[in-house]
Amino acid sequence: MSTLLLLTVANIKSLVRDRAALFWTFFFPVMFVLLFGVLFSGAGNSKVSAGFVDLDNTTDSAKVHQAFSGVSLLDLKVGTLDDEKAAMQRGDISAVIVLPKGLQQTVDSAKSGQAASIAIQLYVDPSKSQTAQVIQGIVVQIANGFNLQLANGSEIVKIEQLPLSSTNLSNVAYLVPSILAMALMQLGVFAAIPLVQQREKGILKRIGATPLPRWKLVASNILLRLGVAAIDGVLIIGIGIAAFNIQIVGSVPAMAGLILLGAGAFLAIGFLLASFLKTEEQATGVVQVVQMPLMFLSGIFFPFDFMPSWLQGVARLLPLTYLGDALRQVMVNGTQVAPLGVDVAILTGWLVVCLAVAARTFRWE
Amino acid sequence: MTESGEPVIRVADLCKCYGDVKAVDGVSFTVARGEVFGMLGPNGAGKTTTIEILEGLREPDSGAVTVFGMDVTRHAESIKQRIGVQLQTVSLYPRLTVTELLDLFGSFYEHHLPTKQLIDAVDLGDRATARSMNLSGGQQQRLSIALALVSDPELIFLDEPTTGLDPQARRSLWDLVKGFQSKGKTVMLTTHYMEEAAELCDRVAIMDHGHILEMGTVPELIGRRFKERAVFFDTTPQLPMDRLSKLDGVTRSSQEDGQTLLYSLDVPGTIGTLLALADGLGVEPHNLGIRQATLEDVFLDLTGRALRD
Repeated sequence: MSTLLLLTVANIKSLVRDRAALFWTFFFPVMFVLLFGVLFSGAGNSKVSAGFVDLDNTTDSAKVHQAFSGVSLLDLKVGTLDDEKAAMQRGDISAVIVLPKGLQQTVDSAKSGQAASIAIQLYVDPSKSQTAQVIQGIVVQIANGFNLQLANGSEIVKIEQLPLSSTNLSNVAYLVPSILAMALMQLGVFAAIPLVQQREKGILKRIGATPLPRWKLVASNILLRLGVAAIDGVLIIGIGIAAFNIQIVGSVPAMAGLILLGAGAFLAIGFLLASFLKTEEQATGVVQVVQMPLMFLSGIFFPFDFMPSWLQGVARLLPLTYLGDALRQVMVNGTQVAPLGVDVAILTGWLVVCLAVAARTFRWE
Repeated sequence: MTESGEPVIRVADLCKCYGDVKAVDGVSFTVARGEVFGMLGPNGAGKTTTIEILEGLREPDSGAVTVFGMDVTRHAESIKQRIGVQLQTVSLYPRLTVTELLDLFGSFYEHHLPTKQLIDAVDLGDRATARSMNLSGGQQQRLSIALALVSDPELIFLDEPTTGLDPQARRSLWDLVKGFQSKGKTVMLTTHYMEEAAELCDRVAIMDHGHILEMGTVPELIGRRFKERAVFFDTTPQLPMDRLSKLDGVTRSSQEDGQTLLYSLDVPGTIGTLLALADGLGVEPHNLGIRQATLEDVFLDLTGRALRD
């Protein structure tokens, strides 16, 4: 075990003392988050658009409608529940306010002295906390006014807040999981380069002449990369929260598990690449050829629905699509390309298949 | 442990092919405990393939290969605990320091020597905290030797230990290897420098095209082929070869790079008749000298070409 530890420490030192490698593993993704964050966080804050659905259709609900229309900060779009929820998911509007059926009835029974209450449903995207707070404030104010006017302040109308994620390109919350996915992909795929380097220099061969079992050599490499993945995860999510105020909804174990699975899958791809590449120059070239299309064709930076159907077809073949999708679902409750279970299964598949092929084809010299 | 009479290395009819190329083609030899055994030959002779099979880095196609009496393919792990290896290409983590590399490699073995002792043994004390990428060629080679010694092995393999080194660095490495022998260690080395083989090795195998052409102590190898001593000189113009070969005592003659070489069983007679011949033709021989035949002469005689490229 101390051998494994020393070997991992040796790998860490090699990485930390290599300025270029350090830049690509840590500073590049951080720069990416900051850049995208600054570019996209300021967009469209003057007015908040919200969908308005009146399921009650009574004189009382009309009064409420009127009250909302009077708020100058609010850009109200009236429609059916399905239409408005779809519009919110597309990112056209930031919230949906629903007046439930039975509003007038409840108000009437309250007036006659019975205890009764009803809730206005408010759909907001928890990952966009600022917008959510603004809307919530407005709805609370109006509900209170309504309660005061109709029921002498007793709380007839309540608010039920419901989460509904919206896709919106101008949203850092959408991009943070994408950038994390990109960083994990890169750390895995780029791992091919030092491996090829060590083989080309004969380091792997030299170690092969010692009694060190080969699995320890592989294990120390995996440990190092998973460690880097954890640091990348903390850095990127941390910056997302601290600098851009994104709301993380997922549990820490789920996120950690996904980060490790994603890093593992792309590390397996990196090992597979390393088993086919002979020189360091070849490795640096091919790694770029692999990671560039992965980055731009996987659609991690654009909502899946915005892509032309042929591109969606391509994206569905690429593992990064599923890592981005899984991270987005777990971290910010984003829209899905596939159910989370499918994402996890596909990533696990890539991990197992690539690792198995690499184990058979990898050459130590 | 091996009995003292039992060879440390035993190779019988070893063959190894890469595709159609027979890198090693029916090689047999043994190395005794405490011996320094050298394989001498040009690049591509099959020396490195042979030594790497002994180190457990390659598997033989056929033949019996044992180290410490154990089969190299079946007992590779336990053999590796007891051997020290220096590979032909310098191969280390470039960004780790001398101390870090020795600590790391030491951890791969059940038993290992203190890093300080190893650094002193190869005289790298003032470079202990230098990264391996910043060492000179000779220092890197000494580090490579220190790594081979890390487990205090009984048997040390050195593959072309001095290739690319300047004469001074080469000398200091030779002193290191002589030190191993005085400590009773067994050493097997490959080289394409005949002075190195002559200086260090108790026994030498001359190898070419995957075969061992000749094997024995250096005096044996020379004595087997050369009873003669060599008379050498430069002349301008060159003297006619047919007349030279008829001089007293001359058995063979050759001319290379403007230098004439006469192998003679009667050196005074050869020189007397040579001077008379030269005088008669009005030519004066320069840099006239006499030497014993060397391994170089043996190699030239065996293969028809010079050892060095």
